[in-house]
Amino acid sequence: MSAITSPAAPAVVVPPLAKSPGYWAGVWRRFKSDKVAVAAGCVVLAIILMAIFADYVAPADPTRSSMLRRLRPIGTPGYPLGADELGRDMLSRLIHGARLSLFMGVVPVFIAFVVGSLIGVSAGFFGGAFNTVTMRTVDVFYAFPSVLLAIALSGALGAGITNSLISLTIVFIPPIARIAESVTTQVRSMDYVEAARASGAGSGTIIRVHVLGNVLGPIFVYATSLISVSMILASGLSFLGLGTKPPTPEWGLMLNTLRTAIYVQPWVAALPGVAIFITSISFNLLSDGLRSAMDVKG
Amino acid sequence: MAPDINPDRGGAGTPLLEARRLTRHFPLGGGAVVRAVDGVDFTVMKGETLGVVGESGCGKSTTARVVMQLIPQDKGEMLFDGEIVGSAALTLKAYRRQAQMVFQDSYASLNPRLTIEDSVAFGPTVHGVSKPAAILKARELLTKVGLDPARFAARYPHELSGGQRQRVNIARALALGPRLVILDEAVSALDKSVEAQVLNLLADLREEFGLTYIFISHDLNVVRFISDRVMVMYLGEVVEIGPVDELYDDPRHPYTRALLSAMPSMDPDNRTMEAPLAGDPPNPINPPDGCRFHPRCPHAQTVCAKAKPALVRTGEGQREAACHMEVAGSGHSRAPRLEDAA
Amino acid sequence: MSAPLVSMENVTVRFRGAQVVHAVNGVSLTLEPGKVLGILGESGSGKSVTLKTLLRLLPESRTDIGGTVAVDGRDVLALNPQDLADYRGGVASMIFQDPMLALDPVYTIGEQIAEAIVRHEKIGRKAAMARALELLELVRIPSPERRLKAYPHEMSGGMRQRAMIALALAARPKLLLADEPTTALDATVQIQILLLLRQLQRDLGMGVIFVTHDIGVAVEVSDRLAVMYAGQIVETGTVRELIADPRHPYTRGLLAANLHGARKGERLEAIPGAPPALTEPPTSCSFAPRCKHAQERCRAALPPAVALGEGRVVRCILAEPSLAAA
Repeated sequence: MSAITSPAAPAVVVPPLAKSPGYWAGVWRRFKSDKVAVAAGCVVLAIILMAIFADYVAPADPTRSSMLRRLRPIGTPGYPLGADELGRDMLSRLIHGARLSLFMGVVPVFIAFVVGSLIGVSAGFFGGAFNTVTMRTVDVFYAFPSVLLAIALSGALGAGITNSLISLTIVFIPPIARIAESVTTQVRSMDYVEAARASGAGSGTIIRVHVLGNVLGPIFVYATSLISVSMILASGLSFLGLGTKPPTPEWGLMLNTLRTAIYVQPWVAALPGVAIFITSISFNLLSDGLRSAMDVKG
Repeated sequence: MAPDINPDRGGAGTPLLEARRLTRHFPLGGGAVVRAVDGVDFTVMKGETLGVVGESGCGKSTTARVVMQLIPQDKGEMLFDGEIVGSAALTLKAYRRQAQMVFQDSYASLNPRLTIEDSVAFGPTVHGVSKPAAILKARELLTKVGLDPARFAARYPHELSGGQRQRVNIARALALGPRLVILDEAVSALDKSVEAQVLNLLADLREEFGLTYIFISHDLNVVRFISDRVMVMYLGEVVEIGPVDELYDDPRHPYTRALLSAMPSMDPDNRTMEAPLAGDPPNPINPPDGCRFHPRCPHAQTVCAKAKPALVRTGEGQREAACHMEVAGSGHSRAPRLEDAA
Repeated sequence: MSAPLVSMENVTVRFRGAQVVHAVNGVSLTLEPGKVLGILGESGSGKSVTLKTLLRLLPESRTDIGGTVAVDGRDVLALNPQDLADYRGGVASMIFQDPMLALDPVYTIGEQIAEAIVRHEKIGRKAAMARALELLELVRIPSPERRLKAYPHEMSGGMRQRAMIALALAARPKLLLADEPTTALDATVQIQILLLLRQLQRDLGMGVIFVTHDIGVAVEVSDRLAVMYAGQIVETGTVRELIADPRHPYTRGLLAANLHGARKGERLEAIPGAPPALTEPPTSCSFAPRCKHAQERCRAALPPAVALGEGRVVRCILAEPSLAAA
């Protein structure tokens, strides 16, 4: 009698095998050879570290103003990137502003990733009428331009970080659900899912073992590409006065308040925009690199 | 292990699988219906290999999926070792432990994110076997299909060749100790030299585990080599079924004859001079009345367009064919006369 | 004897990329006008690459081609873009396994054939359409007038294959290259296309190189056969010679694996293992690791090309004794 028919048999010892390099090792190898993606990854990492350790990195207090030193140009002693319209150190404000800007970029996308995947994967896997109803509902939201939708929702909910967070999350659920649904529909028709069903596995097991592993990767990569969009939208909301309130440093808000100084100190006024640009393009390049690295063929 | 969880009930010499009037239609909208499988009857005896041949649209793959219950039939029923599949006596989950399938595309039928031992072990864990025991079983099966676990068990599908992947799929199908294995074009995508290796392996495994095969293929040479009996399908129906040598040496249905004479000749001095049929196989949307082959049949007469020929015993052996020319008194001028038959 | 239509001398094809692939390693072959050469091989044997080299269809930026390729007196590898365009279709043209990829889905069959004719000949649109109709009749498409106005997706698989053949013949090529044109077809349709190709070849006097993995198909259409393995031709000869008296162990294995006449219950004499990866150019017999007759010599150096007769070459040391005896 073999071990299979007697579950009560003494603990079965499975001799370990030398693991082959495996999927993620391959992804890492391909990613490493993509110089642009690695560089973008380093920039993203640097920005994240900068945000986390802002208190230690920033040379000055980002809220300490000085009426005497308003709108100093870049390179002023003690103000390496100049000073803003209230005489606050731009460099320190940019470093501290990274916190909220990153937060507004990452958190809505992450929540939308979880919720959107849940919606999309179940719609894709179960198909039929459930799919039609769910995806048509999602499409209604998808039909609005994301900027308009974010502004409308924020406007309706009222200004503030939490409300911007909620509205941005709602904006990002439909595109993520769409991608999740289409990837899942593809995976569902694969022979290995049929084979799993033929082994007598239930839907839950099939989703857990065979579907999620193959769809979360592509959905995740897509979601990372939305981080930059989210940052820009959040900045836009702040710019319109629907997001963060002064004096909290946030790149979009900084861009808004410095707008008036554009003729006096154009370089200083443009700095928050540059920060947004660098961060969002880095996230985009990083997700592009991830996408090609995760593409396993042959 | 097989006798323990999947015991033989009816005893040797009884049918393992009986399909009765299996029917599966796919509505297309606009009133059109694809009659993919239309009233198919067949029996697979214990330990035999039933070959299934036919061209695209004949319903052989749909038949496989219905037999595997990946898609339910519209009408008809299946008996597995005497019990109705899906009844209280033989639930779908219990049936799936006894019937397994190997697909054509060796890559698409393995989860790219699972190591091959995890893929093979998946089935048993679904049926309550502990993970370590299932992994041990998987390695044992990998050895049986000719893949050394020490080298292959922890690899991923894309690191294997097509032939090796198909061996993994075979091991995966055997992991539940099934009695019936459906091979749907399982060797068709392989190179000839690799195909021969896998055919040898299938023969060995049939011997060792006492398996019954349903072997679906478009390659008539391969089907002749591996099958005990052969079933020929055309537009969702069985046109002829019988022992392999009888059917290949003396085909009774005009379609079987056409199919066999369409095989390329291997003799350079005796090449094929005439194509047995003109045009492409029609698709199974709204097939013709009467005998479905009659618009292309060189022997078609009025009766063929009117009445559907039944699958009847013909010749001296175990053969059945669905052709009016084989039925005495059918009204076809080439049918045997009634007094002769009596 | 007339000058050969096709003459390939020691052709090598190497693909650059993340991993270098030596797809073709020293192929030499000739084809007389009006003859059919079948190239037989499994996936990765280099048979399709050899065929594409003849039409220079390989991506030039990633491919290194060595050796010489001459077709109808032209040095194919040296053609300038203008001459290459005239050469493709006008001298040599190709038919593929999947006509859906070879035919343009947004033009009718008639427009596509007429377009190909106008590109190579100075005739008007109307005359070209008339020729297109003739071509459809030539490939025996039923009700050709109607099919002239049909789009590829409106036709069945066999009909599309016929349309693609008509398209390939549009500019009266002297050489037709066929890359597994019947592999995706059903058995009863495959034989129709094979018979059609055989007849067209005879009627038009074309030279044909027919690439396939199916021995039966190769036997039906070819005068001569070349068996490829790991980017090399391991055996050539007439169809009769190769079928009746295969000399290379790989050819023998392939013939056995075809299962023609194999009896049920017998064990197949399968070739063990799998073909090599071709990341290095071969320095010894590529088949040796799978060959049961392999000796020390096979693993030490490239096998000799043993010429057993006119156009009969075997790359195997096993063929040497019969040479000595002769």
